[in-house]
Amino acid sequence: MSELLEISKLSAGYGPLRVLHEIDLTVRAGERLGLVGLNGHGKTTLIRALTHMTGWQQGSIKFEGDEIGGSRSLGAGRRTPALVKRGIGVAPQGDAIFPGLSVRKHLECGAYTRSAWRERRDRIDGVFDIFPPLRPLEHALVGKLSGGERRMVSIGRMLMTEAKLYLIDEPSLGLAPKISASVMEALWALPVTGAMIIAEQNVSLLTGRTDRMIGLHAGRLRGDVGHVELA
Amino acid sequence: MDLGLIVYALNLGAIYALMAVGISILWSSVGIINMSHGATFAVSGYAAWLVTGAVKPLVAATFGKTVLASTLMAGTLVASALITGALCGVIIYLLAFLPIHDKPNFQVRALIITLGLNIASVQGLLWMFGPRNRGLPKIFGFGRWEVWGTKIRFDQAGTIVGAAVIMGLTLAWLRYSRRGLEVRAMMQNAEGAAYSGISRQVTALPVLMLTGALAGMAAALLSQTIFVSPTAGVIPLVKGLTIALLGGLGSVPGALIGALLVGFLEAIVGAIPYLGQRYVLFATFLFIIAVLIIRPRGIGGLLDDTRE
Repeated sequence: MSELLEISKLSAGYGPLRVLHEIDLTVRAGERLGLVGLNGHGKTTLIRALTHMTGWQQGSIKFEGDEIGGSRSLGAGRRTPALVKRGIGVAPQGDAIFPGLSVRKHLECGAYTRSAWRERRDRIDGVFDIFPPLRPLEHALVGKLSGGERRMVSIGRMLMTEAKLYLIDEPSLGLAPKISASVMEALWALPVTGAMIIAEQNVSLLTGRTDRMIGLHAGRLRGDVGHVELA
Repeated sequence: MDLGLIVYALNLGAIYALMAVGISILWSSVGIINMSHGATFAVSGYAAWLVTGAVKPLVAATFGKTVLASTLMAGTLVASALITGALCGVIIYLLAFLPIHDKPNFQVRALIITLGLNIASVQGLLWMFGPRNRGLPKIFGFGRWEVWGTKIRFDQAGTIVGAAVIMGLTLAWLRYSRRGLEVRAMMQNAEGAAYSGISRQVTALPVLMLTGALAGMAAALLSQTIFVSPTAGVIPLVKGLTIALLGGLGSVPGALIGALLVGFLEAIVGAIPYLGQRYVLFATFLFIIAVLIIRPRGIGGLLDDTRE
């Protein structure tokens, strides 16, 4: 398999705070990578750095051989839309939903490429097939949905176009165990061809499902964790 | 309350709504509190005055005093004000958004730049045209209708209808077009919008042009009732900003309702004996302060039962 993402010496943070310390990481095309670690050890910052959402960052990020990283101390989020259009789909932590838009309008927002916009009806139908609870809520405002339904909307928005790399930040955060299990099942069943990086605290949710698991501790990678078996 | 008072209130409310909705949309989507909205208003009024002054003899020579001629003049006036408003939006984009939008404290810097633009353009207008008021051609004519014993002036009716049409078009654009969807997404969650491939740099330009055109429309309509002068934009700016706050910054329905409420409040206070026009501003601000103390999220907070 070819290398989709090559990160080398990536540091990132917010203001005087350095969260990531010279990280090196390679992700192959089609690979499912689990990113595990405790709260506040840099999982979210790594995902945000890949889309230029951190306060500052430095170091090389190569996506399909093109440099998308570099040094930057300002302009958080400025390059994000371009990177998303380049083929990085994101389901951010906290969902970043639009509370006053309906589920359908929400999913339409995700169809930012020309071809996806043309086929948006079929694609929305596809998302409803993946997350059946959303179908009857099509015209409901997302701000009135439950946490699990919001997570599905957020992931559904990410799936409206075919990305080459999906970044999913804590898909189980704040959900009841039963609901988070069903969200994870839907994730594993996705018919996507792109690579996937899933940040998660709950190692048992990833065990046996990802190709590789990497630990993140105090802003440094702790090597391949392997498949941790938990009771 | 008689019909004349209601029409007067709606007339005020229509102008305020055009200003407040523009300020509200711009603030919540792009993040600029546009202090030069008043300048856009005044510059659009002067541009409409210049263009109609230049076109008038031409139209009069070609069509005489026909209905076609007056329709053409009306179209020229509204179009020139709308286009100038949108062009002012482009200038604000180039000066107060593009150079600083990814720098720290963007919102404070943008506030200061637009405030500077406002002062500079008011002085520029004074320098170029002098302090004299200018009257624009009356596109709705001078007549009045008798409805149930009350006289309604054409300019009042025309202002209400014109503002309603342009507001309706704006809301439909926000609701049904793809760009409008992007603007609404940006208003509700900037981060989610970025992850949906919506670029603030790209979307800010149409938003600034739209809100500028709304201010231009307000100028064209208000010029039917009062004169255009270099400082004509100050009161609409202040009213627009405070009503946008009253509506809950970022809530379009809140701004609309707030504009109508303030319009009615001003009309009623102005009509009460012993109070009259001199207490209008006082009553307006008292009302807005009272609402914001009781409901800090403004009227929009009452309408909105969703959560972040």
